[in-house]
Amino acid sequence: MSNEARALPGQGSNHPYLRSGLLHCLLIAASFVMLYPILWMLAGSLRPAEDLFGGGASLVPSQVTIKAYSQGWFGMQVSFGHFFLNSLLIATLATLGNVLAASLAAYAFARLNFFGRKLWFALMLGTLMLPYHVTLIPQYVLFLKLGWINTWLPLVVPKYFAVDAFFIFLMVQFFRGIPRQLDEAAQMDGCSPWRIYYKIMLPLSLPVLATAGIFSFIWTWEDFFGPLIYVSDMSLYTVQLGLRSFIDSSGTSSWNELFAMSILSLIPIFLIFLFFQRLLIEGIATTGMKR
Amino acid sequence: MAVSERSPAAAGNGESIALARSYREAFRRNAPGYLFLTPWLIGFFCLTLGPALGSLYLSLTDFDLLQAPNFVGFQNYIRMATADPKFISAIRVTFLYVILSVPLKLGFALAVAMMLNRGIKGLPVYRAVFYLPSLLGASVAIAVLWRQLFAADGMVNSMLAVFGIEGPSWISNPRYSLYTLVVLSVWQFGSPMIIFLAGLRQIPVDMYEAASLDGASARRQFWKITLPLLSPVIFFNCVIQTIEAFKAFTPAFIVSGGTGGPINSTLFYTLYLYQEAFGNFRMGYASALAWVLVIIIAIFTAFSFLSTRYWVHYDE
Amino acid sequence: MSILTVNRRHFLGAGLGLASMPVWGALPGFAAEGAQLRMVWWGSEDRARRTKEAVKAFEGANAGVTVATESMGWDDYWPRLATQVAGGNAPDFIQMDYRFMFEYARRGTILPLDPYMGSELKIADFGEGNLKSCSVDGKLYGANVGVNAFGTIVDTAAWQDAGLAAPSLGTTWDQYAEACIAYGKVAKGKKKYASADGSGSEQLFEGWLISRGKSLYKNDGTLGYEAADAAEWFKYWAELREAGGCVSADIEALYKNTIETSPLTLGYSASDFAFSNQFVGFQKVNKPTLALTGQPVVGNGKPGHYLKPSQMFSISSKSKAPEVTARLINFLVRDPAGALILGVERGVPASPEIRDALVPQLDAANSEVVKFISALTPYVGTLPPAPPQGAGEMNAVLIRISQEVAFEASTPEAGGESLVAEAKSVLKKG
Repeated sequence: MSNEARALPGQGSNHPYLRSGLLHCLLIAASFVMLYPILWMLAGSLRPAEDLFGGGASLVPSQVTIKAYSQGWFGMQVSFGHFFLNSLLIATLATLGNVLAASLAAYAFARLNFFGRKLWFALMLGTLMLPYHVTLIPQYVLFLKLGWINTWLPLVVPKYFAVDAFFIFLMVQFFRGIPRQLDEAAQMDGCSPWRIYYKIMLPLSLPVLATAGIFSFIWTWEDFFGPLIYVSDMSLYTVQLGLRSFIDSSGTSSWNELFAMSILSLIPIFLIFLFFQRLLIEGIATTGMKR
Repeated sequence: MAVSERSPAAAGNGESIALARSYREAFRRNAPGYLFLTPWLIGFFCLTLGPALGSLYLSLTDFDLLQAPNFVGFQNYIRMATADPKFISAIRVTFLYVILSVPLKLGFALAVAMMLNRGIKGLPVYRAVFYLPSLLGASVAIAVLWRQLFAADGMVNSMLAVFGIEGPSWISNPRYSLYTLVVLSVWQFGSPMIIFLAGLRQIPVDMYEAASLDGASARRQFWKITLPLLSPVIFFNCVIQTIEAFKAFTPAFIVSGGTGGPINSTLFYTLYLYQEAFGNFRMGYASALAWVLVIIIAIFTAFSFLSTRYWVHYDE
Repeated sequence: MSILTVNRRHFLGAGLGLASMPVWGALPGFAAEGAQLRMVWWGSEDRARRTKEAVKAFEGANAGVTVATESMGWDDYWPRLATQVAGGNAPDFIQMDYRFMFEYARRGTILPLDPYMGSELKIADFGEGNLKSCSVDGKLYGANVGVNAFGTIVDTAAWQDAGLAAPSLGTTWDQYAEACIAYGKVAKGKKKYASADGSGSEQLFEGWLISRGKSLYKNDGTLGYEAADAAEWFKYWAELREAGGCVSADIEALYKNTIETSPLTLGYSASDFAFSNQFVGFQKVNKPTLALTGQPVVGNGKPGHYLKPSQMFSISSKSKAPEVTARLINFLVRDPAGALILGVERGVPASPEIRDALVPQLDAANSEVVKFISALTPYVGTLPPAPPQGAGEMNAVLIRISQEVAFEASTPEAGGESLVAEAKSVLKKG
């Protein structure tokens, strides 16, 4: 908590209590707007299916039942716990890959001079622009030829080759904000680029590494299109695939089981978020860096 | 790996020595960069480039997903330019969405990030709560939820009723439905907010301390310290959010049930592309649509990069 | 060393091998001894449970055969299947839909089943109608898994509360409008409309056309109706809307072709139109007890209903073991050992023997569906001409134009004109 109590702009008010009281009121009101959907989903998971749609926007269920949780958890032949483990494993591996590979490339783009840097950078950004629907089939053919279909490899391996340009671009922007005098001084002392990368860049970039970690984990956790296309064996299913098997828009759907499992599926990523965000508040400002 | 930047100009005697030296020099200069770039280069050439060129090739064919494609030249592009009213309407909807949602979302994210960057109690909780909507991402539950909020008897209208206003069914009225998607996008402001927060955390405290000692007002500190030092991150968020908004697919797909309705009012570009590819078996045409979108986005991105010299401050 | 070289070439070939795209063939090296089938279907988890159980029974009865199953929701199913087919990795056993059957069959993706009739497939007792409805250009492409008809779902109690008789089999379009308007005058509370707005429903429009002696398409693939017919159709609904007999435009626009967005489910209307196999799903998310009846009819007109497959089982033309797949299909739709496990979850079985065996174990909602299909017989006509290539797009066009009329951005007459014009241009594109 002590990290939080920083002297920051806009604190020179004459009525600190009034101001912070007002701020909290505002924040709490905003929080309700933000939370409403989750509360509604929670309510939806607790009410009987036939109450779900005709009832309007009320939050309070007429009848409370937790049947949806047990039915949802054991609804398929493979229990939801198994899907959670799968998702956790995939997301962890993907996050590691993303942070590692993207930070390497970002360091090159942000700090090293080499021939064709601008061209590569433009190409990298270009990869962000193509909608995935049209690369889907060529990519499927590629992974099929590699023999990766019905495995997790298409979901994990590409991350170790930094295919998601978002993370590279993000880190480039932050690396460029780190004072250049630092690595110049280190270079004078004979430090290799590699040492500068992991002795100076990485420690000073904790906030952005944490940010990339959070996004990487959450987005992999939430991704359903990748697993949908590449995974078919139910024992390899991720949580998102499990969730989607409750809904069949052409026929019978189990909405309250979907809501129940959606609520549960939010818990791990919420915890991950809480855990990683502590790293967000450390960083250059609090690691004793002065210039 | 070593690529020389300039052609060796040396001639006559000692040419080979000079050449070797200049190559060695070039290698020394370029090697570390390419070494760090190697994983990305492998990924680019082996995983990304192939499928991208594949779709480029398909855009010149009549590929229907189920049969082998036939080459048709620029026919798809010609049809797009001359005989496709839906393409025009998708462009219109998408541009409107980009223009409205990107500034609103970024403004919101920055304001909240600034607010949360103060030393207030319960900060981690607020931060997490404000990020929650973004966790819902592409969940199908969003569709149900948005109807609960924006249908004729939804929560928004019950709140308006308190003030005696009878609102329309926002979500299913072609005049307003796109705006409910803009609201959805703004509501999920979590990721730019986090990035802003990380950026704010990177600004050294002592700069503010020094400014305070000099008697600079909070507003002045914002304009003179926060904004310039945050500009690389603001720039990043602008570029990324613009790209994402142009490519937006999931919100419209989920909320409109894949239809882009009512009356094409939420027919986003990529939603139309998806319908053409998988609903109407015109993957060739959809690929052409995709590449036109790439060009549109690339133009926007190029302009934002050109603008950086006027407002983005790097410490170099 | 040589393995490495081959692998690398393979790898590069995959990454850059665009040249190979036009000849995406079947995967070499994956087929093993015995038969390893891959089977895909769409549906929710109850269907998955039943199907997997039945498949296990099939594996038990056929040593050496293994079946890998994959299932997902409707929305995810089609892009995924198309990707697999395009990649040359199509599953052997494909659950097919009536609309997509034409696309897949005409492009040679699924196999004609006629060679297996009488040997692996013993489904002659399905009757001519149910076999014909799974045929394209005279060839059988799927085994009917559920007999389906389009009808009206009514909240009987809501109609009774209004002091009116709910629509039933044989209610004419005029009577329907009259009753709906009467309902609107007396209804209180949220359920203040009698009917959903059916103007954007292609099935309902088709039934209406057929009973007036027209059709959506003619045998030669051209349009079977004129602008005046469509204008009259839009006008019928415009008047009903005006008189408060059916839901307003913005309520109907909430409908996204799913059960949970139907005005009936959302509690705005006392009836809606849907396929009979959706009835169980409707009952699951509606509190009042629902009833299932036919579409409105034209007095002294032709029967406007016809029986369609709710879904069918097809075989990929790339399958290495089409005979075994055909046996599996037969096991699931005709053999009591498999068909009874599937139950009526996919619809009413086409085989009378299986249907009779299932009747005793049905719950209320399911027996309502079986009863409906049986009672519908006098109102069922022959199968209308097959939709031509590209006709699948017309569904969305009709919805859009009906919305333009409903939101008064267009008139019924202009709507009729533009429907016909757009239909002609869509069919030309093919």
